[in-house]
Amino acid sequence: METVQYIGENLWPGRIGHAAAVIAFVSSLFAAFSYFFSEKSKDLKESANWKKLGRFGFLTHGFSVFLVIGLIFFIMVEKMYEYAYAFNHVADDLSNRYILSAFWEGQEGSFLLWMFWHIILGMILLAKSGKWENGVMMFLSIIQATLAVMLLGIYFGDVKVGLDPFILLRETMEAPIFNEANYLEKITGSGLNPLLQNYWMTIHPPTLFLGFASVTVPFCYAAAALWTKRYKEWLKPVLPWALFSGFILGTGILMGGAWAYEALSFGGYWAWDPVENMSLVPWLIMVAGIHMNVVSKATGQSLKATFIFYLLSFILVYYSTFLTRSGILGDTSVHAFTELGLEWQLTSILLFYVGIALFLYIRNERKIPSPVKEESLSSREFWMFIGSLVLLFSTVLISFTTSIPVFNKLFDGLGMLLGMDFSDFHRAAPEDPVAHYNKYQIWIAVMIGVLSGAVQFLRYRESNFANHRKKFLIHSGIALGLSLVMTYLTSWIVEMYAWQYFVLVGACWYGVISNLDYFITVSKANPKLLGSALGHVGFGLMILGSVISGLNQHHISTNKFAQKGMIEGFSDDDYNKNILLIKGKPMFMSGYMVNYERDTFIGQTRTFTVNYKKLDDKGEISQEFNLYPNVLYNKAFSKIEASNPSTKHYLFKDIFTHVASLPKAETDPEYARQLEDSLKYISQTLIPGRDTFTMDSLEGWITKLDYNPKHEDYLPMPGDLIVGVDMILRKKNTLLEFPASTMAIIRGSQIVRIPALFNELNTKVRLTKDVFDETFVKEEELEYKSYVFKQGATLKHAGIPITFTGFGKEPTHPGYVPKEGDIAFDAKFEVNTGQERQVAKPMYLIRGDVPYNLKDEIPSLGLHFIIAEVDPKNEQLIVNIAKTEPREKKVTLEVAQNVPSSEYIVLEAIVFPGINLFWFGSIAMLVGFLVMMFVRLRSGKTT
Amino acid sequence: MKRGVILGIILIIAAIAVLVSMASEFSTYETFAQSAKFPEKSVKVVGVLSKDKSIDYDPIKDPNLFSFYMKDAEEEERKVIMRSAKPQDFEKSEKIVLTGRMQGEEFIASDMLLKCPSKYKDEEIFVRAETGKLN
Repeated sequence: METVQYIGENLWPGRIGHAAAVIAFVSSLFAAFSYFFSEKSKDLKESANWKKLGRFGFLTHGFSVFLVIGLIFFIMVEKMYEYAYAFNHVADDLSNRYILSAFWEGQEGSFLLWMFWHIILGMILLAKSGKWENGVMMFLSIIQATLAVMLLGIYFGDVKVGLDPFILLRETMEAPIFNEANYLEKITGSGLNPLLQNYWMTIHPPTLFLGFASVTVPFCYAAAALWTKRYKEWLKPVLPWALFSGFILGTGILMGGAWAYEALSFGGYWAWDPVENMSLVPWLIMVAGIHMNVVSKATGQSLKATFIFYLLSFILVYYSTFLTRSGILGDTSVHAFTELGLEWQLTSILLFYVGIALFLYIRNERKIPSPVKEESLSSREFWMFIGSLVLLFSTVLISFTTSIPVFNKLFDGLGMLLGMDFSDFHRAAPEDPVAHYNKYQIWIAVMIGVLSGAVQFLRYRESNFANHRKKFLIHSGIALGLSLVMTYLTSWIVEMYAWQYFVLVGACWYGVISNLDYFITVSKANPKLLGSALGHVGFGLMILGSVISGLNQHHISTNKFAQKGMIEGFSDDDYNKNILLIKGKPMFMSGYMVNYERDTFIGQTRTFTVNYKKLDDKGEISQEFNLYPNVLYNKAFSKIEASNPSTKHYLFKDIFTHVASLPKAETDPEYARQLEDSLKYISQTLIPGRDTFTMDSLEGWITKLDYNPKHEDYLPMPGDLIVGVDMILRKKNTLLEFPASTMAIIRGSQIVRIPALFNELNTKVRLTKDVFDETFVKEEELEYKSYVFKQGATLKHAGIPITFTGFGKEPTHPGYVPKEGDIAFDAKFEVNTGQERQVAKPMYLIRGDVPYNLKDEIPSLGLHFIIAEVDPKNEQLIVNIAKTEPREKKVTLEVAQNVPSSEYIVLEAIVFPGINLFWFGSIAMLVGFLVMMFVRLRSGKTT
Repeated sequence: MKRGVILGIILIIAAIAVLVSMASEFSTYETFAQSAKFPEKSVKVVGVLSKDKSIDYDPIKDPNLFSFYMKDAEEEERKVIMRSAKPQDFEKSEKIVLTGRMQGEEFIASDMLLKCPSKYKDEEIFVRAETGKLN
């Protein structure tokens, strides 16, 4: 293998890319050192020079990272499969619009995306951070260096550090194909996971990673403030950054929920999955930090808390990366990445950050100023502090359960040190994680709801609450009263099963109403306070929406009468989530008449049309709509790669639906063949339009023999010979008739038959293979005679007058599919027997110098027409005409009964009431952050 | 600072109380044999699908009934019953994590997590001309 000279490999992008990765690492270290000396230097000029070097270092770093990213895109767009990254993430048939998704599908790509955003944010900081530049950029450069390590892929002794995104495929695995010099000509990439081939994958990761990157800025500010011992000045410049982070990280998380809800078949937007939790936790801490930032800026209280929260938020982002990337979550999350042997590296970087944060904080803890006088119990700052503690408490609870796999690993580690087996201490996630998390988080939401409302009416540095008490009590009283009324009204619409939910709904309404009140009466619609009011109203509505949709979401895909055979051990029909829908057989489920009408294939995607009719009390249709869930097949059509839901959106509810299962015959071609082989077909010969056949309890007849049949599964090709019948089948002595068509095609030497399926009767009908002998006259049995026709001429064949009436430039011959470059026409012959007038249109075609003649026939007269030659000089045609006895044609059908139904879907349908309230509340809350950010940026400019 | 200390103590006590209560809800990884001893307790069992035994899902009879056989870590094989549709691609799973409890000889699963062969582990090279897969 080592001696093979490979053909066609492009090694230069990898070499440049690898060098750029090394430069990115070195230059970020260089930038960090330069900024360090710039800060430490007493001499102004020297400091300025160091700063210049620092900027140079950071920009070099940025350029190198962009180069790495650019080269990876290059190898992906050019489909250079010699590189493992291209091989693993793109394929020949992967459309270029998925290149972005393919880029950040992989571990290396997502690290690069994260670094990319750090660089963009770093450039803004270079321009805007002023006297904070040294400290902030030093910490940012250190963080970039630790991330760049992950891309080095360099061995130190036996230890490999990082993953080289430019590693060659043949270096990552051994396979016999690499013994061939021209292996590249033979391989194609494995492509992007089909589940990820949608626009969410294009927009969600960049947003979420910008969110992660944004958390870094407050961390750098906090670290820089501690390092440079400017404990208070940073509070103002950091606030807009923190608000931006609250906005963008929140947006990223919400988008993840929307993706899960809209495009994946998870059946919900939030499942308390470990990966989801670990992106929520840093956001909650960031929000707590923002509140403490506002407090300490206004009063000087809670300064230490501000430091702690901002430092912690970044560490938690990294902890979340550690959990998802190290493979430690493997058994507990559907989102988890596979282990790539990075565990120890991620762990040591995590410990490194924790070390920096602890070192800086503990060294300065005593020097961080805090007012001698404690905040009063009725002051705004005190209760905001309590609120932040509640958020912290929430994150502790969420992280605790999410970290179960980490605890297990720690027990293992401890056991190894002590030489004991601690595997008895291993735990797993609770049986019902959603219920588990909700049970505790509900009280967090209650406290936040109440605090977010009541605290708005408290004042900073309150020294004389007695004067203010009356006003406070009036506003709180009104809010309490109204929220009780609203809770009562809510309980009309929403079934609230337990008293806890009443408390939660009440607390949310209290928060919403108080903040509306605050915005209108206290802030007098001051735009400066709009953000805060909007954010808190949004939070309340978001929780309300999640309670309503969570509590009252229910499966409508149940039919209590149809589902029998309960299994012992299952409590009740809660488990009946899915319903079987047979094509064309409407089913009644929970107030809806549902019908699987049809399915269509476009490429690998099979889309099902499911019709819903909402029935009112009288059984009449009050609404009707279609939903289009689809499934994505693999290239061999032997496996379903993804099942995508379809959702009907109403203002007050959503109806979510997806295909949970398909017949085995439709996902397994081998099984389908066996099934077909096991059918017993019985022949029935009959004359179309006259005879009726009977078979057991069935009877049927042919309504029409069709020489130009159309079928949705048949795509015409020139040269095809086709025949089909329209037929009717029904149960004996009943009036309900089931119509269907079936047809047969001769293409080349192959006969293809498209059967008719009667799902309602479990019957399948196809034409016999001899159908062409039955319905067509054999060419060799025909005695043709040649005639020379001029336009308008009438000649007689076997005593029948035949008139050539003219040419048609747009032939309509059933066997003809136009193609560019064709020279094609047909000739129209009219036959008048006195009783009837008939038309035949044989056709002539020259395609690529080869002439074809497509015959036409008038079956009722037994006349056959072929254009034998064209004589353009004399404007005449030589036409071969033959006559046979017109005869009554018999058609043989093959009928199989007891056909296992294979035209069905197993459907899951869920109603989510009030889900728009959730989206509306979430978006309002996020816009609140944005408004506050702009307000703070503006006030920063004016002062 | 006094108030801060009091607050801190209250918070820590509350946290410990809640965490202990939460920990009591945690599930444990068990084998079928261990689960049979405590049928009232919900556990997680990790194992592999028995590919030689039947996988039954007949949606025409009942779209919410799915059963198969799984071997746990100690190679003990049990029938598993789930009230749900069969997940697409179930046959290709590499490892199964079940949540549920034993009932008699059968394991009644309320939830299931499938681990399918990863793109990164058992790599396959797709050959363009569809001549099959090399490995």
